[in-house]
Amino acid sequence: MAVPVDAIIKQSPPSSSLRFAFGNVLAFFILLLIGVLAFSIRLFSVIKYESVIHEFDPYFNYRVTQFLTKNGIYDFWNWFDDRTWYPLGRVIGGTVYPGLTLTAGTIWKVLQSLNIPLSVETVCVFTAPVFSAFAAWATYLLTKEVKGTGAGLTAAVLLAMVPSYISRSVAGSYDNEAVAIFALIFTFYLYIKTLNTGSLFYATLNSISYFYMVCSWGGYTFIINLIPMHALLCIVTGRYSSRLYIAYAPLVVLGTLLAALVPVVGFNAVMTSEHFASFLVFIVIHVVALAYYIKGILSPKMFKVAATLVISVGLVVGVGVVAVLVAVVASSPTKGWSGRSLSLLDPTYASKYIPIIASVSEHQPPTWPSYFMDINVLAFLVPAGIIACFSPLSDASSFVILYLVMSVYFSGVMVRLMLVLAPAACIMSGIALSEAFDVCTRSIKYYITSLSESLQTDAGDIVPGNNITSPQNDVIKPDKKEELLKERPSRKNKKKEKESIEKPSVKSKMTKRPLVLPVEASIFALFLIVLLGAFYVVHSVWAAAEAYSAPSIVLTSHSHDGLHVFDDFREAYAWLSHNTEVDDKVASWWDYGYQTTAMANRTVIVDNNTWNNTHIATVGTAMSSPEKDAWQIFNSLDVKYVLVVFGGLVGYPSDDINKFLWMVRIGGGVFPHIKEPDYLRDGQYRIDSQATPTMLNSLMYKLSYFRFVETDGGKGYDRVRRTEIGKKYFKLTHFEEVFTTHHWMVRIYKLKPQKNRIRGKTKKLKSKTSSTTPRSGSLKKNPWH
Amino acid sequence: MGKSTATTKDDAQALFRSLHSAYSATPTNLKIIDLYVVFAVFTALIQVGYMAIVGSFPFNSFLSGVLSCVGTAVLAVCLRIQVNKENKEFKDLPPERAFADFVLCNLVLHLVIMNFLG
Amino acid sequence: MANFSIATVFIASISLLLALTHSFSIENPTDRRILVLVDDLALKSSHSIFFSSLQARGFELDFKLSDDPKIALQRYGQHLYDGLILFSPTTERFGGSLDVAAILDFVDSGKDLIVAADANASDLIRNIAAECGIDFDEDQSAVVIDHGSYAVSETEGDHTLIAADDLIQSDVLLGSTKIEAPVLFKGIGHSLNPANSLVVKVLSASPSAYSANPKSKLSTPPSLSGSSISLVSVVQARNNARVVFSGSLDLFSNKFFKSPVQKAGSSNKHAKSGNEQFVTEISKWVFHERGHLKAVNVRHHRVGETEEPTIYRINDDLEYLVEIYEWSGSSWEPYVANDVQIQFYMMSPYVLKTMSTDKKGQYVVSFKVPDVYGVFQFKVEYQRLGYTSLSLAKQIPVRPFRHNEYERFIPTAFPYYGASFSTMAGFLIFSFVYLYSK
Repeated sequence: MAVPVDAIIKQSPPSSSLRFAFGNVLAFFILLLIGVLAFSIRLFSVIKYESVIHEFDPYFNYRVTQFLTKNGIYDFWNWFDDRTWYPLGRVIGGTVYPGLTLTAGTIWKVLQSLNIPLSVETVCVFTAPVFSAFAAWATYLLTKEVKGTGAGLTAAVLLAMVPSYISRSVAGSYDNEAVAIFALIFTFYLYIKTLNTGSLFYATLNSISYFYMVCSWGGYTFIINLIPMHALLCIVTGRYSSRLYIAYAPLVVLGTLLAALVPVVGFNAVMTSEHFASFLVFIVIHVVALAYYIKGILSPKMFKVAATLVISVGLVVGVGVVAVLVAVVASSPTKGWSGRSLSLLDPTYASKYIPIIASVSEHQPPTWPSYFMDINVLAFLVPAGIIACFSPLSDASSFVILYLVMSVYFSGVMVRLMLVLAPAACIMSGIALSEAFDVCTRSIKYYITSLSESLQTDAGDIVPGNNITSPQNDVIKPDKKEELLKERPSRKNKKKEKESIEKPSVKSKMTKRPLVLPVEASIFALFLIVLLGAFYVVHSVWAAAEAYSAPSIVLTSHSHDGLHVFDDFREAYAWLSHNTEVDDKVASWWDYGYQTTAMANRTVIVDNNTWNNTHIATVGTAMSSPEKDAWQIFNSLDVKYVLVVFGGLVGYPSDDINKFLWMVRIGGGVFPHIKEPDYLRDGQYRIDSQATPTMLNSLMYKLSYFRFVETDGGKGYDRVRRTEIGKKYFKLTHFEEVFTTHHWMVRIYKLKPQKNRIRGKTKKLKSKTSSTTPRSGSLKKNPWH
Repeated sequence: MGKSTATTKDDAQALFRSLHSAYSATPTNLKIIDLYVVFAVFTALIQVGYMAIVGSFPFNSFLSGVLSCVGTAVLAVCLRIQVNKENKEFKDLPPERAFADFVLCNLVLHLVIMNFLG
Repeated sequence: MANFSIATVFIASISLLLALTHSFSIENPTDRRILVLVDDLALKSSHSIFFSSLQARGFELDFKLSDDPKIALQRYGQHLYDGLILFSPTTERFGGSLDVAAILDFVDSGKDLIVAADANASDLIRNIAAECGIDFDEDQSAVVIDHGSYAVSETEGDHTLIAADDLIQSDVLLGSTKIEAPVLFKGIGHSLNPANSLVVKVLSASPSAYSANPKSKLSTPPSLSGSSISLVSVVQARNNARVVFSGSLDLFSNKFFKSPVQKAGSSNKHAKSGNEQFVTEISKWVFHERGHLKAVNVRHHRVGETEEPTIYRINDDLEYLVEIYEWSGSSWEPYVANDVQIQFYMMSPYVLKTMSTDKKGQYVVSFKVPDVYGVFQFKVEYQRLGYTSLSLAKQIPVRPFRHNEYERFIPTAFPYYGASFSTMAGFLIFSFVYLYSK
């Protein structure tokens, strides 16, 4: 057995190392192309619309980044924002996840120092595509640790294009997830690397990467729960090794410290139930490590004695400690979990107790079609990947399996968490695809070499071993050569990896031969796999171009006379910023808060941060009350203008009347005089002639439909609700309309000041001579005046 | 009854003796590391006791103090694992590399501690 | 010569322009022009004492008949008069461009009004009153009859001439000298909505008064009776325009001014009624010669500094100053009171303190910013009967501590500092010992 191996080594070093080098260079270029692909597929919104920031949350991040670049980091750290949540204000430094803004700010600063004058907005818009390229590379690294370069490259390509990730990281979607997904994958990669190599250096890097994740996104609790779960899994399945200890224990200590450094997290890092899993497993792993150590230094008999002694004592102590812990945790009403985490664990929790969390559309459970929309073909490949991970099962592959299972559960609870599923699905599918490709191409190569072998039966140089090594050193498919040696967890250096290429090849000659398919089947299978990939690519590009590139601040529609652009939001914000005083307060539903402060630069009452439920409930109550009560509520908050979004003229479905049910529910949750049944007719919110009087008298109805009948000659047909409105002609007594945008999508009203004189009770008397004054005599009957 | 307690006592004594003998066979540098770990844990226990008496007012100082002790203990244990010659997994790891990683990790730890302390 | 005449014409036109532009403004009043609408020019002489007292105080009176077609309150957006007196209770319709809306507009622009109704008050006057919160008796023929406190007289026997002495106790409204004699009144009564915070009863009827037709028998109980009947009321609108409504035109007449009065049931015979004093004091109040406050020069700063910061920090000590003056008819005098309060307000007052004055018009208070951060307001709400309402609000944000404004070293944390440094030292010692122990 040794002789042929030596012969091989002596014969093929130059060509194999050349091919190896060539393979590496090719892999590098492939990675570069993957980065370019990831970046450019996200540019559709910039091409179709303009380089603008999308949605709602990114506007807040943009405003914070502007402040940071203008005032520096210390002022940002201590920033007290008095233009939002009036009059409570918001301490930005302590309530925002700073990772994204600091990243963009640093990029901008670096570019400025290099004299590249990009504006802050451009940097913000393009941060997400750049970091998605980094995320694709991180996926490559992670999957390479699990299965090999081939799987890594496939997984990277899949992640670059997966629609779920595209949806949250298009150019312009300047939100936390843009940076956080990269940090997530990179942290996982470093964890697996530490697990595979046992090097404390990577453990340190892991903690620093975890710190970056904590800075960026509230979803870091996923990491700090998944890794302990994996460690526990390894211990329970008997795969404990000292590398696990090195990978886990420093992460917990350093990670907790670093997490506590971020002001948003602060002491939650040690006090909330979301982190207790890590501490529990920390204790468990120490116990296990100690047990193994003592087992190592004692004889078996003595170990048994020690074990019985320890267990009997430890059990008593352990029960006591657990009882104390349970009592402490159970004393808090939510058992120490935050509302958002509880709503993840118990999907029905939010709808019962926290209407604000339930009202966000991203927090609803996804439907089946959304799985196919968001991860498409990967949904089929994931189970195959799971099986591929099991043969053979290593620490890294067990981790990826656990990651996938957990993310599937959470994605089923909340649509927004499909994003966490995407990398796991890509990794699994990458592994599956790569394995499938591998089998097919190996079959073809085996067929070809066996063909050539049969033609040259008397050629002496061709050693049987060569038949197996040559396909591995083939230039065209460099991804397979690493695949074989990654079967077992490798923690040796690269040099050693190269030397061991040939060693397992001979052994694998025995194991691999049965896994070769007939060549026709493999050619056909290869064709089908390529077709599958093609479908995936087509779908991803379509999703990126059509479904996920809308900036939602500019809307378009295609009509028979071309493209019609609705820019009403920016029109309204520009009007506000030009026609109102700097200190005027604007009240609207919380969806538009961030945009109003960022674009109109006016103080708002509530915004998308939704941290104060009572304040939001106050605004909700005001919107659901009759005009006079609403005026009182708004006056007590010093509000000057009220902004309402109305889609009835153009058919825009996300307007305030459709969100009205949440205003009633949230308002009614805090102020009991708002009762939801008052607004319902037969269990439905209606605005037509069957609507309840409370509904017709509410401020939201009046502000939305004031003068609406003027638009279509008296009918008042609402295109979203598809009925005619109930009350058509009415006057506003306490508000006056100051601005309505071109398509009636945003309507701004001003609070009328209090009347100068209070009227007496006497009814207006008709004077004895003709009552009409000269002014009104000539006008025709005008219903408004 | 007396016999079983005697046997348990004998067992316990035998256990301690075998532990002691096994432990004294460890090389000196590992013993130094163990001493270091014991020092760190001891300091941590003192701090917890102090917190139990006085209350947790500057909680961040308490956390940073305790976690610095726990952190140094954990890192020292990691070093011990990597340097221990009986550990087959780390046969190829030069002890200098292990120590360098250890120093780096400790630097990061103490930097963070200093930041979090005040 | 020509140059000289041109120069005089020039100077005259300039001064005329100045005079025209120098209309009555509360900040720098000079001449004040009042339009008096009468429905009978005889009123000019029958009420001459009142009018001449007004002219003696510096007012320029312009008498017009109420249906004069040349009546105009405004021309090209400029108000021609600074006050209006309506002594035309029977007018159905004003001449010119004047109507209810124009008069209410006049009031809403801050000008003052005196309205006198009478036994045959027209709907026009009643409408004006209703818009200001005064409800005259709906019965057109009703007058106030008081069999308990009528004025003893030889001529009138139906007790419609009342001697009213139920005056409001207010130095601002009625002056500091007490009006000893009762006020003669003959006319209609009105009621006020108790929920209306802008109207005040100045002269009420006695509990035995009622409002009914003196010539017919009562079939139903009268709608207005007792002391809820108000004979003279004032309205101070939210923009501090002042209006006086009187149910009797004769209250202002020379006859009532000069006649002696004896209240029924009392033996006191007063040689002169209290009408002249009453009317003079009320007209002083109406035309802002008393009780008109202004608050100027609001300043605030941290204790020890002089400039006004844009943002405070919690637990700062600050000082707030304001100057309040009262118009005395000719100049601004310092207003002295000990009940001016300031609130530091954010949805509810966190600090409520009375300001102290240095008797020269300056009010100062100093307090500590509360421990809550947010956007606060310095609120001074001063509403006293008869005085103009002061409503000052100045917004100021309050921020929490910066990260470097906390205590630097906390004594109770010294063991933790010590432990952290000892671990660092231990690490160094350990490294040395470990490396060199071979």
